[in-house]
Amino acid sequence: MTEAVPAAARTGQRRAAVNGLRRLPEFLTIWVPLLLSAGHLIAFALWTLWISFTPSTLVPVSGWVGLRNYTAMMATRNWQIAFDNLLVFGSGFVLLSVLTGLALAILLDQRIRGENVLRSIFLYPLAVSFVVTGTVWSWLLNPGIGIQKLVNDLGWTSFRFDWLIDRDMAIWTIVIAAVWQSSGFAMALFLAGLRSVDGDLIKAAQIDGAGPVRMYRRVILPTLWPITVTVVVIQLQFAITTFDLVRALTGGGPGTATQLPALVVYDFMFQRGLLARGAAAAVLMLLILLAVLLPYAAWQYLQRRQSAHA
Amino acid sequence: MHRISRRAMLAGTAGLIAAPRLARAQAVKPRLTVISQWSAGSDGAAITALGKKFEEKGGTWQHSPVPGFTTEMMNKLRAQIMAGDPPACSQLKGPEIAAWSKIAATVNLDALVAAAGYEKVVAPDLAKLHKPGGKWISLPLQIYSTNMLFLSKRAMDKAKADKIPVTWDDFNALAEKMKAGGVAYPIANGGTRPDDGQKFEAALAGLSPAAYRTAIMNLDDKALKGPEVKAAFAQVRRIADWMDPNTAAQHYSTNLQRFVAGDMGMMIQGGWAQGVLLNAGFKLDDFIIAPGPSDNSKPVFLLNADAFIFWQRKEPDLQAGQTLMAQLVMDPAIQTMYSQITGSIPVRTDVDLSAAGWSDGQRRTAAALKEAVAANQAVLSLAHNMAQENGMTAAMIDVLTEYVKNKAITPEQGVSRLSNAVEGAR
Repeated sequence: MTEAVPAAARTGQRRAAVNGLRRLPEFLTIWVPLLLSAGHLIAFALWTLWISFTPSTLVPVSGWVGLRNYTAMMATRNWQIAFDNLLVFGSGFVLLSVLTGLALAILLDQRIRGENVLRSIFLYPLAVSFVVTGTVWSWLLNPGIGIQKLVNDLGWTSFRFDWLIDRDMAIWTIVIAAVWQSSGFAMALFLAGLRSVDGDLIKAAQIDGAGPVRMYRRVILPTLWPITVTVVVIQLQFAITTFDLVRALTGGGPGTATQLPALVVYDFMFQRGLLARGAAAAVLMLLILLAVLLPYAAWQYLQRRQSAHA
Repeated sequence: MHRISRRAMLAGTAGLIAAPRLARAQAVKPRLTVISQWSAGSDGAAITALGKKFEEKGGTWQHSPVPGFTTEMMNKLRAQIMAGDPPACSQLKGPEIAAWSKIAATVNLDALVAAAGYEKVVAPDLAKLHKPGGKWISLPLQIYSTNMLFLSKRAMDKAKADKIPVTWDDFNALAEKMKAGGVAYPIANGGTRPDDGQKFEAALAGLSPAAYRTAIMNLDDKALKGPEVKAAFAQVRRIADWMDPNTAAQHYSTNLQRFVAGDMGMMIQGGWAQGVLLNAGFKLDDFIIAPGPSDNSKPVFLLNADAFIFWQRKEPDLQAGQTLMAQLVMDPAIQTMYSQITGSIPVRTDVDLSAAGWSDGQRRTAAALKEAVAANQAVLSLAHNMAQENGMTAAMIDVLTEYVKNKAITPEQGVSRLSNAVEGAR
């Protein structure tokens, strides 16, 4: 009896040690990359923040210039154009890709034949890099060789589709290419949402005599709104950080008409050799991102609390 | 007596200390670490050939190319400098040489340049760029002119013209003739930023090299708002009206086929376009190369030069490598070899280009440079980052590229936007 207790304790300890050892790979695979990437991200964000308050040009230097880089950056035409473009591109792209994705998802949801094939086709653009998307669309949208020329050659000679070289419309060519690329992604999320709608709910609605239109509007779509929020947030943060698509499609042109914040950051940091100005622009971009992500995080937190209370 | 013996002793000691060092310095094998963006095509071939020469002279050649834009090479250079490990030698050009020389120590090449008698044979404006603070720290390697005029033979036939335009009036008249003769777009062009910038610099320097110097190179406010700059904007508008508006952001080389076919007539491009045309399979008979329009009929040369800058290193083998490299770069035979591969012209104005291996275009370019230097009309290119540091250049090109693409901007507005951009970037 007196000996049994320490023996049990010892086996317990051994078991705990073995357990710990067994779970070691889990800890390593989760925590090491997590800490590394978080450290990486946070350290460099802080570093950029610091640079944005220094007079750095070609190389980082210490010193303090207060908000001068921010005021100078916001006073440049480049940043103003980029910011205006971000508003147009961000809203146009998010709205259109969500609507297109939703429409595709609803159409695919009709238990049609060849759904798998169609789904792959709509999703496929996502597998193409933005540089490829941009290049292909730059040829398609070029009025001298692309869609306009095709329609003109078919006989409709007065047809005009020259947004790519029209300063006021050029930003919409980026919207078109971006929507083409990512509405498949929205579709996939929406389709998953549609498939997870409670079957009883649909049957109940059918028994009550709801037609397909009414069913979607009143029963199915309202259950999709958490997914919609997710899609919107993901697309928005993509819109804010868009770089390669514009680079390949319009090169920021015609002139400077399709500048976006990420292009301005790259341009000032690495092409103009104005590190601090570029860093200030990068911090401004981060602030815009936070303006999207923080409300989303708050919303998620509230959702979770509500469901916990319920 | 006492003093002499002490001096003798000192000399003896110094000799004792120095002798083994000297012996070691002679025995050290020169080694050179180089970074550049030249990795492929004729550029890659040329620097590889230079490396071979370096090795023939008993050196170890360690070239790390950073392909892509010049800025990517600069990012690597920046990282190496910040890590305290700069390459012994790197590509760098224009006013960036002065800017970068402030962030890391460079090698004083004055003695080597003097020994080679190099200063006498380099265009004065070019020499100044490579000796910021009065000391040679970098060496130009090859020269291009950014305002060469390429004429499509077939477009000339359509216009029934055979005279090469000399002034901007000649140029405009020929463009009208081409348009009337059925050439769809008298000006062949791309839509990139340097492309648009080149149109403006060619216009202003051709109208008045003196105004170009004060306005663009010295950023004199009065000259920037002066009548010549306005006239240049007006000329650029005429050029823009003759261009294919559908080029969007395409590279100029996309349209070479249409240029040779006579669908486009004239191209204002750097001398490197010759190499690109030949590389694309076109013949020298398909086009004519001449200096860009100049209203005083003497050639105006917009200089673009590639150069090497030498970064201070403590290692004796790297220092020996830097000496050897500097000697090679200044060597007329090496410059000949290099330019014949890339299609540029040598920096030295005393190289004879009549030998086989040079093209007519290169000979004409070299002659133009000589004449332009004599007439004080060799100026530095803005569009190719020779006239101003990158930050200022980009701010100015923003205005120029907008002006070319947006026909609603008047020349007056162009002038005020340009001077505002300069003010903002100062």
